[in-house]
Amino acid sequence: MSDLNDLKTRLKIAKSKLKNKNSDTNEKKGVFLGNAFKLGTELVAAVVVGTIIGFILDSWFGTKPLLIIVFFLFGAVAGITNVIRAAKRMQKGGD
Amino acid sequence: MANPMHQFKVHKIGPEIEISGINLSFTNSSLFMVISAVLIITLLLLGTREKKMIPGKLQLISEMLYNFISKMISDTAGKKAKPYFPFIFSLFVFILFCNMVGMLPYSFTVTSHIIVTLTFAMFIFIGVTVLGFIIHGFKYLKIFVPSGVPLVLLPIISIIEIISYLSRPVSLSVRLFANMMAGHTMLKVFGGFVVSLGLIGGWLPLSFSVALTGLEILVAFLQAYVFAILTCIYLNDALNLHH
Repeated sequence: MSDLNDLKTRLKIAKSKLKNKNSDTNEKKGVFLGNAFKLGTELVAAVVVGTIIGFILDSWFGTKPLLIIVFFLFGAVAGITNVIRAAKRMQKGGD
Repeated sequence: MANPMHQFKVHKIGPEIEISGINLSFTNSSLFMVISAVLIITLLLLGTREKKMIPGKLQLISEMLYNFISKMISDTAGKKAKPYFPFIFSLFVFILFCNMVGMLPYSFTVTSHIIVTLTFAMFIFIGVTVLGFIIHGFKYLKIFVPSGVPLVLLPIISIIEIISYLSRPVSLSVRLFANMMAGHTMLKVFGGFVVSLGLIGGWLPLSFSVALTGLEILVAFLQAYVFAILTCIYLNDALNLHH
């Protein structure tokens, strides 16, 4: 039983220590790194999807180079909005 | 010298199984998926068998996993997402274990194949879209029409929103696949340098290899985490309709 009591006090000390430390800094660091990995692909993926849509529409309507260019640009814009959105989300979650 | 891409080769184990023109043979990829699944099930079964007040190692790990995911879901998607906890938990743990099992020598990294990650991503994408339509009906299409946009710009903005929505599964799958494949290729390349430079010059690439292994373990965890957290964010978009 004394073992259990000992553990109880130790737990109490550990808990108060945890509270004093400004929460989980280590976890936060991991989150930031995860976000950093996220941003790059976010931009590229939208450009790729836009270009593919343009390519498909081009072969449907037979307007070969036109729509692929337009949708490439749309994709680029979508990618940038994605990145901005992700960055905003990061700021909100950051603190 | 050893080909760095050779490690990603899928080959079948045992007899060839073909059902109505679809090749369903058991491959090394399926073998390592089974290994990961079995590892997860044994860990969680052993961890939750004795529910002690003072947890043992295995119980501690399983409780940590549970808390980690449950905190992540409540932080990013709110209370409404609680019913989807089992899905996100299994997704995270499966990807994490596939990545980690892939870090063992002589093993095969399941997540370094885009078809595997794309299947995950498409499953999530279609599931979330269907869920959005079930909950909100046709109002779900509103996510393509942000509020406060002048009417003239609306068609262009909608196209951009649609592309951005469609790019979700692509970015989700490519991220995981590219990170895993690039990391493992790099490890193999540096490993090859060690062998070809021999006893005299091989120490530098060897130290790189050691450092890279550490980095890869971090990436393996982070990618599973990012995959799960993005699933939560997409789920949040479908559950709570606003930008």
